[in-house]
Amino acid sequence: MSNYHYSRRSFIKQLSWSAVGFLTACNLTSTKDSQAVRVGAMYLLTGGFATYGEFARDGINLAKEEINAAGGINKRPVEVIFEHEGEPVQTARRLVLQENVDFLLGIDSSGNAEALVPTIPELKRVLMVTHAASPKVTGHLCNKYVFRCSVNGPQNSTAGAEIAAKEAYKKWTTIGPDYAFGRQSWEFFQKALQERKEGVEFLKKTAFSKLGAQDYNSFITNLQNSGADAIWCSLWGNDLVNFIRQANDLGLFAQFPVYMELGAAMEVLTALGEQMPTGQWVGTRYWWQTPDTQINRSFVEKFRQRYNNYPSYNAQNAYVGLHLLAAAANDAGTTDTEAVIKALEGREYEAPMGKLRLRAQDRQAIVDVTWGKTVASKDYDFRVLEPIEVIKGESVTRPLSLTGCQMA
Amino acid sequence: MSVATFVVLFLNGLANGMLLFSIAAGLTLIFGVMGVLNFAHGSLYMLGAYLTYWIVVQGQLNFWVALLVAPLIVALVGGAIEIFCLRRIYGQDVSFQLLLTFAFVLLIEDIVRLLWGSAPLTIPQTQFGGTVQLLGRTYPAYNLLIISIAPIVAIGLWALLKWTRWGKLMRAAAQDRIMAGALGINVPRLFTMVFVLGTWLGGVGGVLAAPLRTISPAMGDNVIIESFIVAVIGGLGNLPGSLIGALIIGQLNSFGISIAQRAQVAFPFILMAIALLFRPQGFFGKVRR
Repeated sequence: MSNYHYSRRSFIKQLSWSAVGFLTACNLTSTKDSQAVRVGAMYLLTGGFATYGEFARDGINLAKEEINAAGGINKRPVEVIFEHEGEPVQTARRLVLQENVDFLLGIDSSGNAEALVPTIPELKRVLMVTHAASPKVTGHLCNKYVFRCSVNGPQNSTAGAEIAAKEAYKKWTTIGPDYAFGRQSWEFFQKALQERKEGVEFLKKTAFSKLGAQDYNSFITNLQNSGADAIWCSLWGNDLVNFIRQANDLGLFAQFPVYMELGAAMEVLTALGEQMPTGQWVGTRYWWQTPDTQINRSFVEKFRQRYNNYPSYNAQNAYVGLHLLAAAANDAGTTDTEAVIKALEGREYEAPMGKLRLRAQDRQAIVDVTWGKTVASKDYDFRVLEPIEVIKGESVTRPLSLTGCQMA
Repeated sequence: MSVATFVVLFLNGLANGMLLFSIAAGLTLIFGVMGVLNFAHGSLYMLGAYLTYWIVVQGQLNFWVALLVAPLIVALVGGAIEIFCLRRIYGQDVSFQLLLTFAFVLLIEDIVRLLWGSAPLTIPQTQFGGTVQLLGRTYPAYNLLIISIAPIVAIGLWALLKWTRWGKLMRAAAQDRIMAGALGINVPRLFTMVFVLGTWLGGVGGVLAAPLRTISPAMGDNVIIESFIVAVIGGLGNLPGSLIGALIIGQLNSFGISIAQRAQVAFPFILMAIALLFRPQGFFGKVRR
């Protein structure tokens, strides 16, 4: 490059760019409605897991429209500010201190949730967790500001064990992601199955793959050599898709029943289409076909009209999260944090996924969990569930004494 | 461990290594000749996989069409990156190249997301003959296809470098860029060719991986790290070295899972650390003077 001259042309170019920036900034501030109730929503909106964040955003936008159409929160419209949840503590602080949000909502990653939850009391805002399934969120790390309206990891594993206990399989092994979630999933599954069935054996030979691993061939070969009767699988998202396709090729599903804790996630089912094996038990944290209630049917219908897609569990959970906050604030007649906490404690709510109750002592939602067997269907280009088993929320939720939650 | 298990694990490792080689080869070629560490290589691999989806699933065309066309499109993108961006900063500090190629990681990821969304996609595997029976086990035929395609790429590349005029020019520029220029070789044009060839290889890797792996904007993240390890072990810029390096990593991954599952993730990194400490030129590289 030749020497850089600061020409008139480049001066004008820079001037016009900064003018554009200035006007955009003005425009942004002027549309800010000082009357609105502001909600800060934090999800994985970029990176490899962005599809989760996008579903959550879709669910929240739908809930926001419904709430605003019904008069908003205490006659004030609701406004949602979406942020990527990376750096969760800084992001939450900024949302509260700079954007003055009244409520916090979200968190996909358990790791991010575990980092954020202990810092919420200093912000004095309610955080409604809608996805992160770590038991610690409503366990060891619980505090009075943090609620969770979605099914947590232990509830999911225990529901799977309840299904598994009905079958004759004695020897179990597992494949899961090699971090807290995969390890905990196996641990809670073992505990729950032992309580429900005598003489089950859990093999030492297990398979834990790096999160985001691409090649599962050798893990699958090991599973085939393990001598197990059945396999518990806690892989999820892209990892599960990778695993299933490679397991198809190696003939795993013809040899073993594989119980997939998050196999009925819509992201997985749509990605796989006909490659999803049939006749396998799969779990999820919300299945759009159940329960057969007016509320669920109308939610699915509205979601499909708006986004031309079936709602994933993350979409439903986020949708419910915002509705719960709005309902509690409307009952309290204020957005004051302490008053809303009172209104949320023990609150019952009729969600698309069924009736849920936010247990007052640990703020965990107690709600029925759906499992089902995969089946091919002419009406859908992905696998659906038949038969469907709905496991009672009370029976899969740990008693308070075992959660480790001690509210100050 | 039974014979059948050993054979299956060995084949798994071989397929994994061969696939890794076809990706790492492009990275190491670009570094060897141009001295550019191309962070965006994993993203170009991802782009190759998405183009395969576009051709095979959306376009309903044959996989072989994808193998022909997708790497060419990726190579065109690579050429554009070199001609319009990279070429302008060769004179600058290396950190500029790293920043620029990293910018392309972000750009390509977002462009792919705009075009195909962020939900994971897959390519049905029915086209590839399904499975074969091997010592009483079911084994995917496609793995065998990878094991046979990658050596063709390796031999083709080796022959290109060894016997063609372009290959000789590339080797000359790799040894001494300034002298090559002084002898009348059009080094900028050569660099463009090398970058195009290197990104083409990344695209080939993406096409080969597409029927095996979930296609998502994040699929390049893991691969770029493994490719770097392969390139370091084999000696940056050393093609036969990276072939051996890739095969070693493939087997380490495969057998490591059986023997020491929890430590397995660390094996490639340990190998890289040993290489950097004791043979920074790579286990198979020559010391440059």
